[in-house]
Amino acid sequence: MLEIKNLQASINNKSILKGLNLTINPGELHAIMGPNGSGKSTLANVLSGKNGYEISGKMNFMGENLIKLPIEERAQKGIFLAFQYPLEIPGVNTNNFLKTSLNSVRKAKGEKELDSISFLKLVKEKSSELGIDEKILSRQLNVGFSGGEKKKNEILQMKILDPSFSILDETDSGLDIDALKIVANGVNSSRTSKKSFLVITHYQRLLDYIKPDFVHVLSDGKIIKTGCSELAQELEKKGYQKIS
Amino acid sequence: MIQNFQVNSKQIDKIKEITSEEKDFRIKNLEVFKASGFPNKKLEDWKFSDFKQIIESNFKELDFEKVSSKLNKKDLLKDFEHNYIFLVNGNFHSSNFSFEEKNKIKIKSCNKNIDNKVSKNPLICLNNALAENGYFLEVEKNYKFKKILVIYNLFSKDIKNKILNNKNIIKLGENSELHVMEYTINESKFKFINNVYENIILAKNAKFKNLYMQNNKSDGFFHKFLKTELFYNSSYSSLIFSSGLKFNKLDIECDLIEDKCECNILSALFLNKNEHQEIKTNIKHLAPNCKSYQRIKKVLNSDSKGIYQGKIYVKDISQKTDAYQLSKALLLNDDAEFNSKPELEIYADDVKCSHGSTSGNIDEDSLYYLMSRGLSRKDSTKLLIKGFLNDVVEYIKNPKIKKFIENKLERQIHGY
Repeated sequence: MLEIKNLQASINNKSILKGLNLTINPGELHAIMGPNGSGKSTLANVLSGKNGYEISGKMNFMGENLIKLPIEERAQKGIFLAFQYPLEIPGVNTNNFLKTSLNSVRKAKGEKELDSISFLKLVKEKSSELGIDEKILSRQLNVGFSGGEKKKNEILQMKILDPSFSILDETDSGLDIDALKIVANGVNSSRTSKKSFLVITHYQRLLDYIKPDFVHVLSDGKIIKTGCSELAQELEKKGYQKIS
Repeated sequence: MIQNFQVNSKQIDKIKEITSEEKDFRIKNLEVFKASGFPNKKLEDWKFSDFKQIIESNFKELDFEKVSSKLNKKDLLKDFEHNYIFLVNGNFHSSNFSFEEKNKIKIKSCNKNIDNKVSKNPLICLNNALAENGYFLEVEKNYKFKKILVIYNLFSKDIKNKILNNKNIIKLGENSELHVMEYTINESKFKFINNVYENIILAKNAKFKNLYMQNNKSDGFFHKFLKTELFYNSSYSSLIFSSGLKFNKLDIECDLIEDKCECNILSALFLNKNEHQEIKTNIKHLAPNCKSYQRIKKVLNSDSKGIYQGKIYVKDISQKTDAYQLSKALLLNDDAEFNSKPELEIYADDVKCSHGSTSGNIDEDSLYYLMSRGLSRKDSTKLLIKGFLNDVVEYIKNPKIKKFIENKLERQIHGY
């Protein structure tokens, strides 16, 4: 599904990713851990197409070169990024935004746009699954949402857009233990043999609830170690310093 | 070239039914206008809108002759039930108050002058000299309008290089209520000037709401001086959505004359190529315990120019004044320009006055967030523009009128 080879990314002449290799197959869930400043969020941004990076190397998604693809086309092709810090968008109603966004993805896929009734039904189902109070969906997008509500809203967007590849950038940070379980369940119930995930986290805690197939350690712009879920536990005990 | 803009005092002779005293006043005003000409940027109030220069570069000649006010067809809005007044080229044409008790409402053509002072604003002098055939509307005390009153402000096909001067008066009796939408329809493809002086007088406990909207883009140059006088516990609110005009200057003077008055001025504008729009306010807190609130939002595209000059004056006796003003501009283009000049003049010591002004571009991070959900850059920008203007639209309480305004805004932004 995703094939990254010798990916290098820099911003303002500062090199951040320095030759990253990663292959993710359909159905797999990969976790990336790493110290602050190792390039985790940059990887998420580069995958979703954020502007401002100088990029070289290979980055293929479903056989297609991602590098030249604009942000929205990546989203339309099935890449989703749950933001570490979801933005507050004043004046934009959350439900309207969700509908516009879903329909633009459906339109790009050549599917029929969803009418208001079917859309609301879908939102109701997905939001109750995540324990989201529907009232917040008639509010402005993320404005005045608590930290937990913002993160849950990201997962709700993921469930609604139904992407084939989701990147979760520190979705667990700022969540209490109950919210963490709900979010983890949200991810687990989305897992199929066709869908892949890249979970970026600082803590092993999230991986108690979401079982990764692979755990990678990212340090100074490169993956320096790959293992199975036990690697996360080892990291928790020893810290990043001891891994090399 | 300027010679062509000379106006002859014979124009005043043509105005019917005026007293000799009134005629003298008109002649005096005309002399002042002739001496000063159109206002230019040397006048502080016209610092950002050099009207003289704008007129000279857009008109070769100006026609002060009266225009006909024939109306072939009345195209009424179907979006919501309403009463209406038709103005044709600024002149009062007809009215319909089918939803109201007609004996509670007075409406007639207005030729009267409102005050007898000679203004510092040359355009007001010109209006004082030449205005005729505006409307006079009076609502009796204790009468509350059941439906909105739409003032169709229609400019006909044949007006070209005309300068139209009108005076309007709206008077609300004690405890009365009126909600007005001024809806401008432009059929002329030519340039013209509409120079209006409007006086709104609100008696004790009266409530007046006004909303400005255009049907279409226009090559008209609009100047309106709005003098509102508020008496005990009355409230005035104005929502300005008049985008699409080549030039528009709305000069609002609001006198809070007695206790507990309230004045709200809000605006949400999307300005496009060749559009120049100024909102100038002068809120005068002349009595204690009054509130004023201003919220001006402008989105500026292409080479458009937006201006906000907002003044709050608090007289020494006006304790417990609560005054607020905020202007925000979103610039979509390097050629767009926004000028903001807040002025506070406070002589009382127990008051709350706050002001703020910001201008900036579309936030790239917000765009990234929306685009990462599959929206194109254009659609994301439009969503952010709508979001930016939305808090003003939220002030409209009637759902049908709100929907109507939202659709209009949607159409304005659609072209972006």
